[in-house]
Amino acid sequence: MGSRALLMLTNFNFKTTVSSFGSASNPFFLIKNNLRTRNFSTKTRSSLQPPDLPGLAETARISLAPNEVEEFAPKIGQVIDWFGQLQAVDLDNVEPAIRADTEGDNLREDAPQTFENKEALIASVPSYEEPYIKVPKVLNKE
Amino acid sequence: MLSTIQPPRYLSRFPLRGRTKSRSFHILSSAQPVTKTCFAADQSQILSIRDSLLNRHLSAVELTHSYLDRLKQTEPHINCFLHVSDPDKVLKQAQDIDDKIKRNEEVGPLAGVLVAIKDNICTADMPSTGGSYILEGYRPPFDATAVKRLKDLGAIVVGKTNLDEFGMGSTTEASAFKVTANPWDLSRVPGGSSGGSAASVSARQCVVSLGSDTGGSVRQPASFCGVVGLKPTYGRVSRFGLMAYASSLDVIGCFGSSVADTGILLHAISGHDSLDATSSKREVPDFTSQFTYASSLKSRPLEGLRVGLIRETVDAGVDSGVKSAIEGAAAHLEQLGCVLKEVSLPSFSLGLPAYYILASSESSSNLSRYDGVRYGNQASSDELNGLYEESRAKGFGSEVKMRILMGTYALSAGYYDAYYKRAQQVRTIIRKSFKAALDENDILISPAAPSAAYKIGEKKNDPLAMYAGDIMTVNVNLAGLPALVLPCGFVEGGAVGLPVGLQIIGAAFDEEKLVKVGHIFEQTLEGYNFVPPLVTDVGGASPEL
Repeated sequence: MGSRALLMLTNFNFKTTVSSFGSASNPFFLIKNNLRTRNFSTKTRSSLQPPDLPGLAETARISLAPNEVEEFAPKIGQVIDWFGQLQAVDLDNVEPAIRADTEGDNLREDAPQTFENKEALIASVPSYEEPYIKVPKVLNKE
Repeated sequence: MLSTIQPPRYLSRFPLRGRTKSRSFHILSSAQPVTKTCFAADQSQILSIRDSLLNRHLSAVELTHSYLDRLKQTEPHINCFLHVSDPDKVLKQAQDIDDKIKRNEEVGPLAGVLVAIKDNICTADMPSTGGSYILEGYRPPFDATAVKRLKDLGAIVVGKTNLDEFGMGSTTEASAFKVTANPWDLSRVPGGSSGGSAASVSARQCVVSLGSDTGGSVRQPASFCGVVGLKPTYGRVSRFGLMAYASSLDVIGCFGSSVADTGILLHAISGHDSLDATSSKREVPDFTSQFTYASSLKSRPLEGLRVGLIRETVDAGVDSGVKSAIEGAAAHLEQLGCVLKEVSLPSFSLGLPAYYILASSESSSNLSRYDGVRYGNQASSDELNGLYEESRAKGFGSEVKMRILMGTYALSAGYYDAYYKRAQQVRTIIRKSFKAALDENDILISPAAPSAAYKIGEKKNDPLAMYAGDIMTVNVNLAGLPALVLPCGFVEGGAVGLPVGLQIIGAAFDEEKLVKVGHIFEQTLEGYNFVPPLVTDVGGASPEL
């Protein structure tokens, strides 16, 4: 069941700009490609450097055990390869959309409001020494 | 055409009004006696409850007891809840409602309605863990706006439901605490990430529930569990109090056992909130105002409605059983008068990698707040970075860690243009293609998932196989559109078959049309019982309405 669903992930290459949506000619692309690339390929599509897991973990402030690095690396590599298929799409002159933009910005007045339940906020802090949230010292790395 | 896989005995035990030509839709009418039927899909449970309470046919306490008993009996099998409210507190709330009614005081439109809330939505008086160890035991200092609105209208929160950690997953197996089972087959997943909320409504442990939908997390479990799931337009419902996963995609959605209930629930939580800058100021219509009594439905009530079946969603890769259920649903729509045609969205399959790039990237940023300093579980360390690294290493599960790492990669200098920016451009393309399709059609339809519920553990070690299941749903989040999923048929599997949901997609802010079409579809669909056998097998508690 899962492997059949993977057929839907097969990449199809846009050789021309995607300018018309829902036009009759495009579906033939899909059919041709589906037949050609029936098996999901895990070859590296991306020409960029593969992810450096320990470096990423440091940036993300998560410490990874060696067995986790071993376990995650191939899975993450596979997914990032799969992301790479977007490289093949012609995206010239397409504006990036930050969000769906179903509506314009709705900013409120920049006026402070008192939050009533401060005790609950403080109660949640694991290490509190009035009036400080306590943390261990900062070690400067070079 | 429409394949009925269930054995006849279930149909006869619940004499569905669907077997006869005329159905009556129970709307407020104190003159009519309340007929004792069980969970028939053609009712609005919310309106029936209101009717019974106001006419003193049933007390809120009796109703609450009935649901709590069923919860207690079904919960050991399905494990929907991470936290169940103290029964005494819940019964006290019910008692307060009964007292008000006795004194002829007004009660809210959701008075006595038991609601379950997904655990990534903050509730001040209950733990809210997001399904993660890092927030084990955390009690938020505020209610999410959606929760506050429900409580103000008289709803009773019965507990917090299980989910994939922080909404990341499609099976509810990625919860730090437990795995929820599908009420239709306990060896199968309920879907995710709002699996607990979907299964809870399916097993009739509560009347309605709230979930969240970032890439299909309300719609896919609705399909897997045979309940109705409604994803609103991005901005329709305030996200304040929803633990952010991907801020440009997240919405809070509704589950119910009928389209009417999800419409009523959505109306209750919708509307502008000054605490959410992305919430729309648009007026919220009464989503159920266009409902027609089934008995007064013309023979072709949806005459002329233009329906587009998305061709890419019934192509290779979709289960044949799902395909035939959707084809059956399409034929049913045609019988109701719809004009059906196939629509092609060529950029459709690009949505999946674009979604995962955007979602991972945004989640890597959103989850950086979980550092063990101001809330949640804190690891011990003698220096600050170590505190962050250890707290997060211990607190997060594997799927969350992987997505944070993927997102960190996609956003890093040198890769941002290649991944994140390109994904945003794909989002523009998808938005435009949906808009073009919805200019030519009133609604679009597709399956909610390429298959029915699969076995627990089946997709656990293969992330891409799991992500592939989201193909039907992610594009809708990228475009910010509303979508309704309602059960339309069954496929083989489990004791009596596994439910399949039809997804109906509408234009932005057009939830009213979705609910109207869904309601008529549901009212006129004959020969199905979408109550899982677990509910009747468990026995004991007699059905209440």
